[in-house]
Amino acid sequence: MHGSQAPGGRPEVRLAAVLLTGLLVWLLSAPLSAQQPRTGGTLTFIVSAEPPSFDAHREATFALIHPARPHYNLLVKFDPLSYPKVVPDLAESWTISPDGTTYTFKIRRGVRFHDGSVLTSRDIKASYEKIIFPKGDVVSVRAAAYTMVGSVEAPDPATVVFRLKWKSPSFLQNVASPWNWIYNADILERDPHWYERNIMGTGPFKFVEYVRGSHWVGARNEDYWVKGRPYLDGYRAVFIGNAAAQVNAVKSGQALVEFRGFSPPQRDDIVRALGSGATVQESGWLCNNTVVFNSKRKPFDDARFRKALSLAIDRWGGSTALSQIAIVGPVGGLMRPEGPFATPQADLEKLAGYGHDITAARAEAKKLLAEAGVPEGFEFNLLNRNVEMPYRYVAVFLIDQWRQIGLKVNHVVKETGPYLADERAGNFDAAVDFNCDFYDDPDLQLVKFLSVEMPNGAVNALNYGGYIDRTLDRLYDEQSKSEDATRRMTLVRQFEKRLLDDKVWQIYVLWWKRIIPHSSKLHGYKVGPSHYLEDLQDVWISE
Amino acid sequence: MARYLTRRLLLMVPTLLAVAVIIFVLVRVIPGDIVELRLVSGGSFVTKSVIEAERARLGLNKPIWRQFVDWMSGLPRLDLGRSMWTAAPIIQEIALRFQLSLQLAIMSTLIAVAIALPLGIAAAVRRGTWVDYGVQVISVAGLATPSFWLGILLLLALLSYFHWLPPLTFTPLWVSPKANLLQLIWPALAVGYRYSAVTTRMTRSAMLEVLQEDYVRTAWAKGLAQRVIVVRHALRNALMPVVTVIGLEFAFLIGGLVVTEQVFNLNGIGKLFVDAIARRDYTMIQGLLLLVATVYIVVNFLIEALYVWLDPRVSYG
Amino acid sequence: MPRVHRRQRTWLARFVRHYPLGAAAGLAILGLASLAALAGYLAPYDPVANDFGAMFAAPSARHWFGTDAFGRDVLSRILYGARTALLVGFASSLVGATIGGIVGVTGAYFGGTIDLLIQRLADIMISFPIIILALAIVAILGSGTVNLIVAIALSFVPRIELVVRASALSVRETAYVEAARAIGARHWRIILRHMVPNVTAPYLVMLTAFLGQAILLEASLSFLGLGVNEPTAAWGLMLSGAAVEFVERAPWMAVFPGLAITLTVLAFNVLGDSLRDALDPRLRT
Repeated sequence: MHGSQAPGGRPEVRLAAVLLTGLLVWLLSAPLSAQQPRTGGTLTFIVSAEPPSFDAHREATFALIHPARPHYNLLVKFDPLSYPKVVPDLAESWTISPDGTTYTFKIRRGVRFHDGSVLTSRDIKASYEKIIFPKGDVVSVRAAAYTMVGSVEAPDPATVVFRLKWKSPSFLQNVASPWNWIYNADILERDPHWYERNIMGTGPFKFVEYVRGSHWVGARNEDYWVKGRPYLDGYRAVFIGNAAAQVNAVKSGQALVEFRGFSPPQRDDIVRALGSGATVQESGWLCNNTVVFNSKRKPFDDARFRKALSLAIDRWGGSTALSQIAIVGPVGGLMRPEGPFATPQADLEKLAGYGHDITAARAEAKKLLAEAGVPEGFEFNLLNRNVEMPYRYVAVFLIDQWRQIGLKVNHVVKETGPYLADERAGNFDAAVDFNCDFYDDPDLQLVKFLSVEMPNGAVNALNYGGYIDRTLDRLYDEQSKSEDATRRMTLVRQFEKRLLDDKVWQIYVLWWKRIIPHSSKLHGYKVGPSHYLEDLQDVWISE
Repeated sequence: MARYLTRRLLLMVPTLLAVAVIIFVLVRVIPGDIVELRLVSGGSFVTKSVIEAERARLGLNKPIWRQFVDWMSGLPRLDLGRSMWTAAPIIQEIALRFQLSLQLAIMSTLIAVAIALPLGIAAAVRRGTWVDYGVQVISVAGLATPSFWLGILLLLALLSYFHWLPPLTFTPLWVSPKANLLQLIWPALAVGYRYSAVTTRMTRSAMLEVLQEDYVRTAWAKGLAQRVIVVRHALRNALMPVVTVIGLEFAFLIGGLVVTEQVFNLNGIGKLFVDAIARRDYTMIQGLLLLVATVYIVVNFLIEALYVWLDPRVSYG
Repeated sequence: MPRVHRRQRTWLARFVRHYPLGAAAGLAILGLASLAALAGYLAPYDPVANDFGAMFAAPSARHWFGTDAFGRDVLSRILYGARTALLVGFASSLVGATIGGIVGVTGAYFGGTIDLLIQRLADIMISFPIIILALAIVAILGSGTVNLIVAIALSFVPRIELVVRASALSVRETAYVEAARAIGARHWRIILRHMVPNVTAPYLVMLTAFLGQAILLEASLSFLGLGVNEPTAAWGLMLSGAAVEFVERAPWMAVFPGLAITLTVLAFNVLGDSLRDALDPRLRT
């Protein structure tokens, strides 16, 4: 593909390169556009929970994204077909100043809200100010993600300028956040809480109805600014919490898809029932389960003990087994296994508990336990969240793994509220924790591992383990400021080794795997490593 | 009679008030905080001040007595407040789910009564015969079988032998009777069976008691011709404890079908209650508990009224 | 002492003669208790050991009742689960009946405002379905075996209290209690001497009646994920999650634990019915 960019090359080489590129593009996109997109039809899909409020700026659940995101647009978005590429949405183009602190977005003209009003840069400024600088009793759960933003300006109706206080390498991805729905400035001015209970955007679908305890309906926006889109006449999101009922709905064709993901046995069930009528898409997932140790309690304050706990886990064996029954699978380090910062296999296998010889690892674990003075049959509590998938599976697996080095683990399962409260109060021995993001970035994903208290007095409320490790703080700082990509990668690897192998403050169990078995009638959809990105703009259904 | 009933009706007010107080206190004892749960559970980082602002907006920073007064002042207007989770009026949240739970309760009751009355009477009349033993076995087994397990087996049979699949969402009876009944008939059967066990036993023992009364024995002795009348007479008198059991069981079905709703994927009051507890949605928990208690108290009143109507011997002192 | 002993034996003999079904149920419960006690010897596998080589294995000579999603032996988990069921059943109905009994007796004996308040409270508490009450208490206490026992016991208290109080009330009005009060006997002495023996029958009847209920309730709460926690073997827990999701693929995961619950509750109910008829026929429902 380099050939196509070679300037002034021989015409036949260029022609061949163009053809080859074309062929490649065609091959890659063949499964998605093998048929001519069909306009019409209503897509019925399943959402496993109901949304709290309708305002994405203050929510963090896919239960809002799946039914309501199609009513809105973003400033820029992740390409639904080639994540993590950022593509235009309401901004048709953008420029970044050489020092990386000024982002200028050109706003599309002629875009109208569902009530007919015209979208201008004012709406974007108002939406982002609500997210970054919430006023009064307006809640934004993402203000902390934009601390680098000094101001948002709208110098003319078609321009929005973000001025950053410091350079942020992944700012563009950050702005592609699927949560940053663009609202109408006039409405926000009248009532900043209006969007919590109402829907009014520029998106491909207009809001029709939401029947609580039942379903959510959207209808095609005939004046949508992308010509010929959306393909669908409308969609119907049905809320089904029961996993067995979800599978039955897809099996019977009453629903075509569920966009969060199914477990492997559910996938097999659906494939068995639908045969060639089912298409299975799988992907890594930007989510994982970890275990946090309370480093303020004995013997969890002893790195040897923590390391023994990590060594006892047969991650490769567990991956093979659990990936047959739960939504977990890939073995990985700090960053997503398929992502740009993934740990190379050779480095990974050197980390404690990532080796292939589990017998040797367990022998070493027992030796470490003895050194740390932890007796055979030692008991401790494992705090967990009462969520079936995959928390229950992960815990049953972990408890059995630790049983095999002679430890007795009591499983303490709590509802999400008390579970979070216990984690934040340090009221646990060890706790199953989780992370879920929408883009890969060490700045974002490593921040929770920083010391609980910074030298300047700042508190890291996400460090439930309660430890202080200045080496981690320094490495984080260095990688964040690093101009050189290779150097940054090296620093991330050092951070990883320190966290998972030397100090073992926390351990990673397994990364999640996203499995979307859907009806073959569904087209124009590609599974990605995040379940927050669906917008239905390009989705269509056949026959 | 009317005066007596009116007084009973008026007495419901202080009872409900006491229920409301207890519910309010009970709910505040549940640990966990809806605001933290909602803003932090997704893993996002939210500052203390944001959490405080949200608490203030939901009225959670007001003194407890003030929150109570706010809640109570809405009740006369049937305003249960707004859900703290979705910000929608609780009445609106409950509406569809209550329809479902109510209909399921009515269907289960009908099924239970249809099974229980004939079986219970037959068992009592043919006491000590194989009919009696058969009925007792059926009802004892019914009491012992968890109805959610029966539901699972029912689903298994329907899925693997009949390839039957229930409709995805609840459709009210008047919109599509077919879709509605297709969805609710199976859970109603699973629940109705257990329910019929309780009622059969009650019918049998109440009938036995009445059949031993002197006037009935005499009538028996007079010969077969009057037997039908006697049974009818006896039944009328035996009916009251049976009606009581039916009424109370019915009241408990609203909200008490937590597990059955889970198995059959029904969005009813029970599931809403479990969700509300998991979310620490105080106003919603309060509303649901009050609803459930009110149904019970109203049903109790109706039973009492029925007593008065059925049996003039009851004194209304 | 020997006389008392013989009297008990004859009572037992009469019970067996008059209530053969009840006696059989009692025997079945004893059998279950021995299975539970000997689970360590009888169970072919460790109930918590994962075996990823045998996930969802169908019943066979190696695994009589098949295995679950983690390859755990269903038979072994049912045997160990009997421990959980009996523990929760006995502990919660014992605690519930005892608290209910004490409150009922003292309330009936002393009467007055406190009794009235307790009555009103009990009336209100029974206007909620037991499961709703138990759910609310679990929400307050948290899940886990011990909290589960407390939650079930507490949700039984008002129901048991009402019955015991009614019995105690009838005793209170009798001549000998009046007499004892008149001669100035101490309250606790009168209660222990005269009231408690007279409410023993309803107490025992309620206790056995609620045993089966407790096991059902434990199963329901564990099924909802609010009861016993993994990896503890418990029948209701075995029915939750994967058992329902894969009921078509591995029906044994749902069939056997449910059967265990049903048979156990059946035995307790039959025994309870017979005990009720033998001890206190007035309480028949």
